[in-house]
Amino acid sequence: MNKVKFYSILLFKILFFNNIIFSQSCDYFLRGKILDSHDDSNLIGAIVSIQGTNFFSQTNFEGEYLINGICPGDYILVISHPNCKTIKKNIILVENKDVNFFLEHHINELEEIVLQESKISRLRKSVQEVSLNINEVNSYGSNTLEEAINNIPGASILKTGNSISKPIIHGMYGSRVGIVTDGFRQYDQQWGPDHAPNIDFDSFEILQLIKGAAALKYGGDTSAGSIILSSKRKLPKDTLFGRSSINLESNGRGGKINSSLEKSFSNGFYINGDITGKKYGDFNTPNYILSNSGFEEASFSIDFGRDQINKGWNVKYSNYRIEPGILKASHIGNVQDLFYALNSKEPKIINDFTYAIEAPKQLAKHQKIIFKYFKSIGNNSKLEIGYNYQENKRKEFDLRRGGRTNIPVVDLSLKTHILNASLAGIQYEDHNFEVGINGFFQDNFSTPDTGVKRLIPDYYKFESGIYLLGDYKKNNSFLFEWGLRLDYVAYDSKKYYYQSDWENRNFDVLYQDFELYEVFNQILTNPKFNYVNLSAQTGISLKLSNTSKLNFSYILSQRAPNPSELFSDGLHHAMAAIEYGNLGINTETNHKFLVSLSKNSKRFNLLVEPYISKIFGYIFIEPTGLKQTIRGAFPVWTYDNTDAFLTGLDLSSKFLISEKLSFDFGASYVYAQDLNHNEPIILIPPFNSYQRLKYIPREENWSFEITNQIYFKQTRFPDSNFIFDYIENGSIVSKTVDISESPSGYNRINAVFSIDLKDRKNIKSNLRIIGQNITNTNFRDYLNRMRLYASDLGRNIQIQLNFKY
Amino acid sequence: MGIIFFISCSKEDPDAINEQEFISNVIVTITSEDGEPQTIDWDLSEMNSQSINMKVNTNYNVNVSFLNTSDPTDVENVTLEIIDEADEHQVFFEFAEVSVNVSSASNDTKVGSRGVLINSIWNASSTGTGLVRLYLIHQPTNFNATTREGMGGFNDVAIDIPVSIFK
Repeated sequence: MNKVKFYSILLFKILFFNNIIFSQSCDYFLRGKILDSHDDSNLIGAIVSIQGTNFFSQTNFEGEYLINGICPGDYILVISHPNCKTIKKNIILVENKDVNFFLEHHINELEEIVLQESKISRLRKSVQEVSLNINEVNSYGSNTLEEAINNIPGASILKTGNSISKPIIHGMYGSRVGIVTDGFRQYDQQWGPDHAPNIDFDSFEILQLIKGAAALKYGGDTSAGSIILSSKRKLPKDTLFGRSSINLESNGRGGKINSSLEKSFSNGFYINGDITGKKYGDFNTPNYILSNSGFEEASFSIDFGRDQINKGWNVKYSNYRIEPGILKASHIGNVQDLFYALNSKEPKIINDFTYAIEAPKQLAKHQKIIFKYFKSIGNNSKLEIGYNYQENKRKEFDLRRGGRTNIPVVDLSLKTHILNASLAGIQYEDHNFEVGINGFFQDNFSTPDTGVKRLIPDYYKFESGIYLLGDYKKNNSFLFEWGLRLDYVAYDSKKYYYQSDWENRNFDVLYQDFELYEVFNQILTNPKFNYVNLSAQTGISLKLSNTSKLNFSYILSQRAPNPSELFSDGLHHAMAAIEYGNLGINTETNHKFLVSLSKNSKRFNLLVEPYISKIFGYIFIEPTGLKQTIRGAFPVWTYDNTDAFLTGLDLSSKFLISEKLSFDFGASYVYAQDLNHNEPIILIPPFNSYQRLKYIPREENWSFEITNQIYFKQTRFPDSNFIFDYIENGSIVSKTVDISESPSGYNRINAVFSIDLKDRKNIKSNLRIIGQNITNTNFRDYLNRMRLYASDLGRNIQIQLNFKY
Repeated sequence: MGIIFFISCSKEDPDAINEQEFISNVIVTITSEDGEPQTIDWDLSEMNSQSINMKVNTNYNVNVSFLNTSDPTDVENVTLEIIDEADEHQVFFEFAEVSVNVSSASNDTKVGSRGVLINSIWNASSTGTGLVRLYLIHQPTNFNATTREGMGGFNDVAIDIPVSIFK
């Protein structure tokens, strides 16, 4: 943040409380808020003036303006903001008036953190939501998702090694977390704990994280929450600008390069392109190399359209490809191999550093095309129609015999069509409504060329949803909000079962209707399921004082089982477990209460968010016995429903110690219990906290910050250990395979030094040196599934160069 | 409306997959210099518990072969694949409660001086009953190790067969 901006914000604050500029005998007032028409965020520092008079007011942090002592009459209001198009409005004043105005606001590319942090952009106003500028997040390191999540208490990352990470919100992940890009839900094979979202986070500008299934517009089944990625609206101005960044990293000896270029015209046409590439070799822990942990990622997108403010259209194509290696030492054949791996301090396979990526590895490709159209109807309503096609191809390679290593063991192709239509901003008195419908068709195909039993069968999935959202706002200090959504979900699948499994699991009696015909020792079945899910959200937002605010929300969400929970069928190599889906799985229903209390004063910001939820029919996987194979007996895990109770608290705060120095503190804790089995739920983030000190000398062109992240040991985990017979010195002894125990707690220190380089012509450049795990601490993370085999990453130094032109 | 249309069309019948590189049977043939051969067919579907019977202090030729019989019309001899890829495979035996010395036979598949132990010679040093755990190890990290743990790699096969050693 630059000096001018800092003082000007202070000035706005002062002005607001002293803005009786000119007094007359007349005593009417005019007040309200100035909002960004794009995302309803408050506009700070907008000026509302009455043309031809000395009356004016500047909006405060809440976007509020107030002009006192006006005589009755006809006036022209001029509303302006440094980053917006100025508008003029006629107003007839015969009584005190409360009026909100919308401006076309856009975050200025070069604006710094403060404005971003004070921007409260909301999808649902009674549910707290975190909004991050991806460009800013990026300055903490090259792994955008991870760095974003590190800044959000209540969110964590589930990892498989270092290149595969997926978000956890309030202790839940996978199908319970929705990821929305450009207004459409992302559909890759998101059910898998080792399937990272196939998205280039760098090609977006804003990341919003909503805890809880409040984003009803996009679905009612994501009980954990949603991550919404979007780009800024394009301005109808003749502009051409670009941005590039290069990251070079010591750990993995690789880097990332990202570049985007945007051209807009005054008639509203625009075209935008973005490209990202990443390449890393083997990463290392403080003590050894993680062999085969490198990865390659490449993506691009092209976006064009026309935005004429009151109507517009948009076409966007994006293409993403990632090829991550999987730690060699994690490929095991049976329970005994897992036992050895767990008892070995170091991985069994440590080779020299290489960029080569060999099996075991994954290869995922995602293509997406979007067509969108919108049109304003009347003063406030907006009609939006969009169609999206997504194609996800996922291959997994394993070490195979007989020269088959180049043939994937998993080869899935998922095609998804989505149709959305919505009408927002329907106003009736103080009520505001939005109504919309979604249609969805999905086709999953698993090629038989793998020569390995299909992990997930071929299926069609249909969904259709309808939602109605509303809010009632009497004044600026009280808002009541509600939403309802109804979804119909249907699966039509074709799956082969081994005759023996089909009978052993009693499916031949329970699901006789699904049976089609037999092929040798297998039976082809046609499981068909349909579900009707109801979801709802209601909440209030109360302004307690000028500096504090309370949100309270109740969310009901229902989720139909995903294909993996219904159908999965196979050996999970890295976990030495046979995983079975369950045709008898029912919908899970989550009731969640969220409270958020925020206090924002000049020197101190605090946000406290407790929540509590009860989930009926929570879908989980549990050990259910042993199965003999040619590789010995394997533990069998089967999906089932249970009841669960989750509660937790997220806290974040910011103290301005001086003009130059600030201190951030955040913490979160989740308690999760399986009520039917009376044991903790697996893979719940342990208590964690971050502390960050930022030093920004305003007159200088550099800044420095240091962050400490603390993760405690997770003391609450279920016991999933099992025993096997082991031959030791010529006798059989029973050994426990301890896969349950959580690793010890740890802390990690990261630092960022940033310096703006001399501007050259129209190019602004900035250099950052980022240090991660500076102390080179050796640790294992409970939420990294590779912790069974190896330690986590050691020190990493990144050099980042950013250019804006 | 759209939904009804979609539901009326069902997914095509997928092809059944005959699992490749799958091992369904391990066949162990034990022959003394003079005696009749014994054949133990460890079948995944039956989990055979036939016992290997041996005389103490007597040499036996032991042959191990691996089959995929999941398609009865096309039985696949997986042993040939293992011989082809002998450089990354090792057959390994661990005995419990009995003491048996194992060495590579003259007709064994060799990689340099290392025998893969597809053909081995067994000699028991004392009587008793116990079991042998037969491993097929893929990509061992140390072929010279004397324990399964030391060998590294991962198990493609790990089965237990009872062993009785007579006087």
